[in-house]
Amino acid sequence: MLALSRCVAFPFRSPIQPPSPLENPHHRPSKPTKATTMPPKGKAAPKPKGTEATKPPSVSTSAPVAPPSTTTTTTTTSAPSPGPSTVSERSQQRFDESRPYEAAREKSGLSSLAPAEQVAWISSQLARSSAARARLGPKAQRELWRHVNEASLPIRAPKTKPSSGSWGKDRAGQYIGGYTAARFDDRAAKRISLTALEIASRAFKHTRERARKGLLDPLSREPVVLAENETDQEKNRRRQMAALRRELYGQTMGQFEQDPEWDDVVPIPQDEPEMALAAIAYPASYAEAISYLRAVMQKKEYSPRCLRLTEHIISMNPAHYTVWLYRASNIFAMKLPIPDEIEWLNGVALEHLKNYQIWHHRHLLVDNYYPSIADDAEKVSQFAASERAFLAAILAQDTKNYHVWSYRSYLVGKLGTWGADELAAIEAMIADDVRNNSAWSHRFFLVFSNPAHTTPGTAATDPDPAVPRDIVDREVQYAMDKTYLAPQNQSPWNYLRGVLAKGGRRLASVEPFAAEFVAGLGEVDEAELVRSTHALDLLAEIYAEKGEREKADLALRRLAEKWDRIRVGYWEWRRKCLDVAG
Amino acid sequence: MAAEAAGGEPSLDIERHLKYWKMCLRSPLPHAYLSNEGNRMALAYFIINSISILTPSSPPPPSSDTAADKPPTPPLIGPEERRALRQWVLSHQHAAGGFCGTSSLIFPLRDYEEWDFEAGAPTQEHSGLANIAATLFALQLLALLADDETADSAFSGVDRVRTLRWLRRLQRDDGSFGEVLRLLPGRGWFIGGGYDMRYCYIATAVRWMLRGHVKAGEPGWVDDFDTAGLARYILTSQTYDGGFAGSSQDEPHAGYAYCAIGALSLLDRPLENSKASHPSAILHSGIRDMPRLIHWLASRQFVYLEPDTSADDDDDDDDDDAVNFLLPKTLSDLSLDENLHYAGFNGRCNKVADTCYCWWVGGALANLGREELLPRGPSRRFLLEKMQHRIGGFGKYPGSPPDLYHACFGLAILAVMGEPGLSPFDSSLAVPVETVRRIERARRGLLKNASEERKAGTLGRELVNMGLALSEKTPEWLVGVTGGAW
Repeated sequence: MLALSRCVAFPFRSPIQPPSPLENPHHRPSKPTKATTMPPKGKAAPKPKGTEATKPPSVSTSAPVAPPSTTTTTTTTSAPSPGPSTVSERSQQRFDESRPYEAAREKSGLSSLAPAEQVAWISSQLARSSAARARLGPKAQRELWRHVNEASLPIRAPKTKPSSGSWGKDRAGQYIGGYTAARFDDRAAKRISLTALEIASRAFKHTRERARKGLLDPLSREPVVLAENETDQEKNRRRQMAALRRELYGQTMGQFEQDPEWDDVVPIPQDEPEMALAAIAYPASYAEAISYLRAVMQKKEYSPRCLRLTEHIISMNPAHYTVWLYRASNIFAMKLPIPDEIEWLNGVALEHLKNYQIWHHRHLLVDNYYPSIADDAEKVSQFAASERAFLAAILAQDTKNYHVWSYRSYLVGKLGTWGADELAAIEAMIADDVRNNSAWSHRFFLVFSNPAHTTPGTAATDPDPAVPRDIVDREVQYAMDKTYLAPQNQSPWNYLRGVLAKGGRRLASVEPFAAEFVAGLGEVDEAELVRSTHALDLLAEIYAEKGEREKADLALRRLAEKWDRIRVGYWEWRRKCLDVAG
Repeated sequence: MAAEAAGGEPSLDIERHLKYWKMCLRSPLPHAYLSNEGNRMALAYFIINSISILTPSSPPPPSSDTAADKPPTPPLIGPEERRALRQWVLSHQHAAGGFCGTSSLIFPLRDYEEWDFEAGAPTQEHSGLANIAATLFALQLLALLADDETADSAFSGVDRVRTLRWLRRLQRDDGSFGEVLRLLPGRGWFIGGGYDMRYCYIATAVRWMLRGHVKAGEPGWVDDFDTAGLARYILTSQTYDGGFAGSSQDEPHAGYAYCAIGALSLLDRPLENSKASHPSAILHSGIRDMPRLIHWLASRQFVYLEPDTSADDDDDDDDDDAVNFLLPKTLSDLSLDENLHYAGFNGRCNKVADTCYCWWVGGALANLGREELLPRGPSRRFLLEKMQHRIGGFGKYPGSPPDLYHACFGLAILAVMGEPGLSPFDSSLAVPVETVRRIERARRGLLKNASEERKAGTLGRELVNMGLALSEKTPEWLVGVTGGAW
């Protein structure tokens, strides 16, 4: 069937499906076959009361939809047959009944029939063909009609012979000709209902269009108005249409196709060559939404319904960057309040933790919102507090979420929230998990990019003389304190190195601290104890800094040989570097 | 599946990986890939790139006893199919330069009418959306789909000039790059995509593939983007601990470190016959603290400890950290021999092991010319015994089902480490070395066409000028057509 051959992924290309092709010409309640002028009624012979095997039964004028009672009649040439169980059989029977002796003649030739049968056959042929009859004289014609009436020969009949292929298949691939009459009638009734709904739906669109244009009703001369409940009725109608189309033809009618609000948008389905890479098996509902998105993006429509469309697509695929950009365009074009959008975004972000388009969107929103509150310190501080609360909520779900931390550092720079609140929030996170390197990184940024006491534009790895000594002291102490909690945790060791570089201090200034974690280096067996490879690593650098090449080499060798053998290649490389430096 | 070969080392079952990739090539990807619908070009690259890694064009001679009687197998992707897939890739090209990441972002051609093609700028917002990552993947795919006979024309159909002009427009004032350009109502042009070192790397790779040596004023000349500004941006993104982040205020990340190193190195990579780890002055003299960078990269490796399966079930929660980043009880435990079996890699300090970081870290070290810092044996064992899946491919975590991204980069790092049977791999351009040679040929072919087209164009221009000289004034329609470019 047409419906099934349509591309499954894009079934909504045309909003109104054409009515299904004629399922079987024999069953169309059509005009009676043009046969002839009716025979004079008065001369009609009384119809046979019973059924006789030798007499073909009369067939009512509209044979194709004759009531089932006709099925109790018998065929002309054989013993009584059971009533047809399927509509296909019924058609065949009707065809046979309308052509007495035809089957026998076809089989064995006209001469094989009895003389009376021959006359009956010839008469019924002539009765159906006005062209042939025209050649008969008036007398012969009278004779003919007398014969026809006396024998009750059928004069109307289906023109073409039923063929098994003409019924088509239903959505399940089942042969429709194999339906029972009741089932077939049910199907026909549904098709009629669908057609009626489609007509009503078209009328709705027509009225709506006239109402939109402000046209006058030709009869009442009043402006056409679309009653309030009509749209709801139409929605209801589309639901019924969708159900019928699905049932009859297996066609899906998408969510947008069902919504009268989207009637004016012609979706742009994707067009892809047969040979493609990385096609994704996604549901038709997604394909439909994208095809509407394409259409409104192309029109550059910015409206509440477009905003809802983006929300719908984001709920299915939040990683589609285009949808986010289009959403932002809608918000800017309609000048919607950005705080509302941010609030909506909070829920989406909590639902899709690993997504980063959400954070780009938030970044863009804040970039555009901040100028409107920049002059109002109160508002900025309120906004900062609400953002901090949200960040706390989302980091509670995923403490090392890269996108969240990245947004957080951006926000600090944007809002200038370098103060105690932010530092306290980070300290709490490090206290909670001393291995949270994201929090350590944020702290470094917070302390050493704060414009109040740093030189703007200094690289993270470069010393900055503007940083006060007591801040460097404080951070060195902080790193050391946290190191004691878990000596093999690399985060505070990295932090310590970073602070020393910022403060322009020598590594040797922390030699006693690093040495606390290493005992008996180079001594035999149990005497050598290293509690942190990072301490030993730092000591190696300190020795090299101080020019104590042998000690540095020993530290590196012990790392390679025993304490951190997975990195043997690295430690050996460091040893070679000592040689170059020395 | 990692069959123990003689000597106890696992071997890579190439046939099984090919089977996985064949499935990805021939059948639609499952619904789980929906979130990548906007980046289908990337998925396509993973598929074709992996097949290329697994089927070197000059495979090593098969060992005598096993494959002597085997008839030569036909190529997995035949010439016809290659041509058709090429067309698919080219169909994603945006009329104003660059490539779209998915067919849902390609619009019928009539929607590009508002574009002033000569000026390479829109007269107003246009439909469709080219994406910087999709552009790189499309170019890589065109080269991957070429063979020795077709390499010279691998880039034919690519609008080199418009793509390079569009690329320039993706650069921000601070030197960094975004991924897309969009006109936001009332806000002007917006370079979307956040601060992401990946786009910086991709910009340099596209530039390396397309720009070529053309002098100003010569046919095919296109203004370069601000390479010094880009280098400055990248170099200041080194973080206090030596790594690289999207910017210096963020946490360093192995993927970004790879991209930073790759971008700097591609800025001055020779255009012909060069290796991924060429002696790049921009890279080696530019990085502020190279020892700390190497230290940071080396620190991404760690001993992967097996989760203790005998442990009480109550402790067995779903936390990845618990099963994938086990810390030794004491440091002395690490010195035990059996614990040196597997080397995992994480992307950030104190995070879990993940297949792709073998690639990002290993690739970064290879681009620096420091492959010797990779613990080859334990890394290889970790990939083959822990990350490889029964049906072929690699997963993200030990025991994960395979996915295109991890399966591709698992193969890539094995190829970089010289795995027998795999194509030698260029760690900087992320395609096999033989594909890099084809890119070079494709670029030459493109530049040759540019100079020939310009010659043909001169004739046309002279004819028009002659016509203009005969008539009194320039007709209005011609002004629009030429855009003042005569």
